[in-house]
Amino acid sequence: MTSAVQFTGVSRHFGSVRAVDAVDIDIAEGEFFAMLGPSGSGKTTCLRLIAGFEQPTGGDIAIFGQSAKGVPPYKRHVNTVFQDYALFPHLNVRDNVAYGLMIAGRPKAERHRAAEEALELVALPGYGTRKPSELSGGQRQRVALARALINQPKVLLLDEPLGALDLKLREQMQEELKALQRKLGITFVFVTHDQGEALSMADRVAVFNEGKIVQVGRPEDIYYRPEVPFVADFVGSSNVLPPEVTEKLTGKRCHAALRPEALRISESGHVATVRATSFIGTATRVSLVMDDTPMVALIPKGQEIPAVGAQVNLSWQDEDLHLMEARS
Amino acid sequence: MTSFLKSCTALVATAVVASQSLAADMITEIGPGEGQVNIVAWPGYIERGETVADFDWVTKFEQATSCKVNVKTANTSDEMVALMNEGGFDLVTASGDASLRMIAGKRVQPVNIDLIPSWPSVDERLKEAPWHYVGGVHYGTPYMWGPNVLMYSTEAFAEAPTSWSVVFEETTLADGKSNQGRVQAYDGPIHIADAANYLMYHKPELGITSPYELNQEQYDAALDLLRVQRGLVSRYWHDAFIQIDDFKNEGIVASGSWPFQVNLLQGDGAKVASTIPQEGATGWADTTMMHAEAENPNCAYMWMEHTLSSNLQSDLSVWFGANPAVPAACTDGRGMQTAEGCTKNGMDEFERIKFWQTPVSKCESQGTCVPYYRWVSDYIGVIGGR
Amino acid sequence: MSDLSLHTGRSGPLTRLSDWLWRNPRMLILLLLTPPALWLGIIYLGSLFALLAQSFFSIDEFSGLIVYEFTLKTYGELFTPANFDIIVRTVVMAAAVTVAAALISFPIAYYAARYAKGKWKAVFYLGVMLPLWSSYLVKVYSWKLILAKEGILNWLFEILHMKWLLEAYLAIPVIGGNSLSVSWTGTFLVFLYVWLPFMVLPIQASLERVPTSMLEASGDLGANPGQSFRYVLLPLALPGVIAGSIFTFSLTLGDYIIPQIVGSSRRFIGQAVYSYQGTAGNIPLAAAFAVVPIVIMGVYLWVAKRKGAFDAL
Repeated sequence: MTSAVQFTGVSRHFGSVRAVDAVDIDIAEGEFFAMLGPSGSGKTTCLRLIAGFEQPTGGDIAIFGQSAKGVPPYKRHVNTVFQDYALFPHLNVRDNVAYGLMIAGRPKAERHRAAEEALELVALPGYGTRKPSELSGGQRQRVALARALINQPKVLLLDEPLGALDLKLREQMQEELKALQRKLGITFVFVTHDQGEALSMADRVAVFNEGKIVQVGRPEDIYYRPEVPFVADFVGSSNVLPPEVTEKLTGKRCHAALRPEALRISESGHVATVRATSFIGTATRVSLVMDDTPMVALIPKGQEIPAVGAQVNLSWQDEDLHLMEARS
Repeated sequence: MTSFLKSCTALVATAVVASQSLAADMITEIGPGEGQVNIVAWPGYIERGETVADFDWVTKFEQATSCKVNVKTANTSDEMVALMNEGGFDLVTASGDASLRMIAGKRVQPVNIDLIPSWPSVDERLKEAPWHYVGGVHYGTPYMWGPNVLMYSTEAFAEAPTSWSVVFEETTLADGKSNQGRVQAYDGPIHIADAANYLMYHKPELGITSPYELNQEQYDAALDLLRVQRGLVSRYWHDAFIQIDDFKNEGIVASGSWPFQVNLLQGDGAKVASTIPQEGATGWADTTMMHAEAENPNCAYMWMEHTLSSNLQSDLSVWFGANPAVPAACTDGRGMQTAEGCTKNGMDEFERIKFWQTPVSKCESQGTCVPYYRWVSDYIGVIGGR
Repeated sequence: MSDLSLHTGRSGPLTRLSDWLWRNPRMLILLLLTPPALWLGIIYLGSLFALLAQSFFSIDEFSGLIVYEFTLKTYGELFTPANFDIIVRTVVMAAAVTVAAALISFPIAYYAARYAKGKWKAVFYLGVMLPLWSSYLVKVYSWKLILAKEGILNWLFEILHMKWLLEAYLAIPVIGGNSLSVSWTGTFLVFLYVWLPFMVLPIQASLERVPTSMLEASGDLGANPGQSFRYVLLPLALPGVIAGSIFTFSLTLGDYIIPQIVGSSRRFIGQAVYSYQGTAGNIPLAAAFAVVPIVIMGVYLWVAKRKGAFDAL
């Protein structure tokens, strides 16, 4: 089976800025693929390279096996849901959704029917005659989705589509997007800076940092088995132990990750000093210093919270200490 | 609204009539100066040496009389009439089209010529000119006059053209090329009078006695002539400086013009000259007139005397390319003007000049004439190709 | 607690006035708006209505005096061939100038809105605004010199051995003439030059408000650049184009100086108004002429509204 999208050593440099630097990606057909990373890490540029809004300065991009070099956006079977939705303010919802069909020269009746179907798909039936300005943020997001789906793209690109929504709506939309993807079987490429979103929705996640992919894998792998300290820190908010500390603990000289929820305050163990505590609902977050290394522990509800400044003992299960031997 | 406007007009008319009766009597003697005199004048008419130091005919007057001269310039006759209607002025340098309107509207008062010692020196031909001498009453002192000459390029014409036909009918000029696109005409309805003047000479059967008093038939003939002219003229001239530029840059070789442009172009070294052809020419004559409610009558009379007796007539005729109302100013050396200069400006052509006056429907020569407002709309039509 | 926690020590008539205005914001708005509203209402609308009223009077054929009785005769006079010519001529010129200004302005404005950054943006603004800083008359007179028979443009054509082209063009009836400066083309060029900034700036402002993502979305959905322009960029920039066209169209409709200096002396509406209200004393006809551009602009805006030109506002 050919890959839906394949990057081979793709770079996009803006002058001396290396927005995307020698990236290799292989996205399978029908996959829900997330690109995760902090802002400026190159993930959005990668998405724009797939859409055709940017041209690579090096390497090659293949979409379903065909090189995309020099192919303008309007000739790619790829559609995008924009971060700001980019709905056309002068057109009503129906004409927005049917825009792709109008450009393709389909007759009006067919366009209207297809638009209504697409709106039903995103749970907005009967909204066709409204103007985008009359819709809420969530509704606009759905219209943008319906508009991008109407051309039946082979790959759907989503650029932080849930960024502007409030928490509750975001969680709801995450589920709906995932269900939709399963139903349509289209390849989704999803850009986000929210690791929770990436982990909960994607089949596979690529973590970006400074223009490069630092790790690609299933969400569990990314979360539990980070290969580099950046992933451990950014994705799992893990405690990253420097090689000297790891060496003292295990004898191996490499970075190690230790999840906050794996830490316990107990009778015996490693001595640490409490710096601060903060209540975060289901648990209390305790900041500590152990061997000059700042650590965070999550103490479940019901357990005793140590006072700030107190000396405590930290302990964990050996299998929770994940050594990052591969690439450190 | 209609009745409101009507009653307003009536009110104004009543007020005007009422105030006129008070000011109708002439002054019989000149008292001490009031300290100032306010004059509405054409641009360039009252110079105090600020434009060019040599041209100053105000400073000495102010020193001698302690009447300060305040000038308000106006660019059109309508503006002059409007300013005089507003009031607050003592004198105005009115042209023939404005003077009769102001006399009829009682905006100006009769002038006692006995109080102006230099009156006898005024050109005999102007003393009782119809544009300021109405019903045996003098309404002002003549100021300056000039002909509308035919200016021509000496390169295109070996000799001075003898007829205005060079600007009215298609002809092959001395240089072998047609005059089409190379002649100009004045961009104002009064140019109809020039056409009528031409017809007066060439078509005596029309019976035109004054180019400003035309019956319908005579008027139509003039318009027909102007329609022919439209085919020859690329652009009509409106502004003296634009015409100067057109003679320099647009290849214009002949046009009705003023001595003013001729003098400036010749001063610039351009090969042009001017003539008054066999048909004669139209012309203009301005008069210093006194406001009916002049607040400074003594200074006003002093200024009128000054305009006739000082260097003003002589120097202004040089400055403006016009003719003095006092013939002696050409020769007695009171200013820069010379006999030759006056001849050049058309001083000897007075009899051949029909002076500009407003065409009215009740005309003297033939009872009913085509009024000026129709000249305006029809001339617009002719220029527009109708 | 200090006694001054709610009332500071400051007092005095001005303080009391601002306190009072703070508590009565409507009075503040009233105070701010009354002078301009009076100005607009009395001076502007008042003179407009006075003009309108004048146009319903007529001039007496024989005496040349204004007859203060309601009549539509003066409006009828607008349709005499000579006067109707003037209206058609002016409207055609205004439309041509507007269309040409829009065509020229769009690429300039597009470049400025999309690509010009920093220094180049300043250069753009300077370039567009600079002609506005010099006197209108100076500009028109310089154009007269440029277009004259012995002017710069003619000289340029001669140097390039293209004089035959200019002469062939000038031989075309109506738009041609003896030289560019006495032709309609000349009038058109000067109008176009003088009013261009009034078109560029509104279009540039409206284009700046169109997010890049809008065009990307259009391309993403299959529209080629031409289609994106037709279906997205143009509709979104249309309010700017309409705003610009209101300027160029109405300015051309009303101008009476340019056609007097450059062109064939055939009258435009502004010149007709000027000559009729002058010595001719035909104020009713001048007023009727002055109403024409108002009516035309009204119809134009109404059509633009009906066609959805302001939907993107």
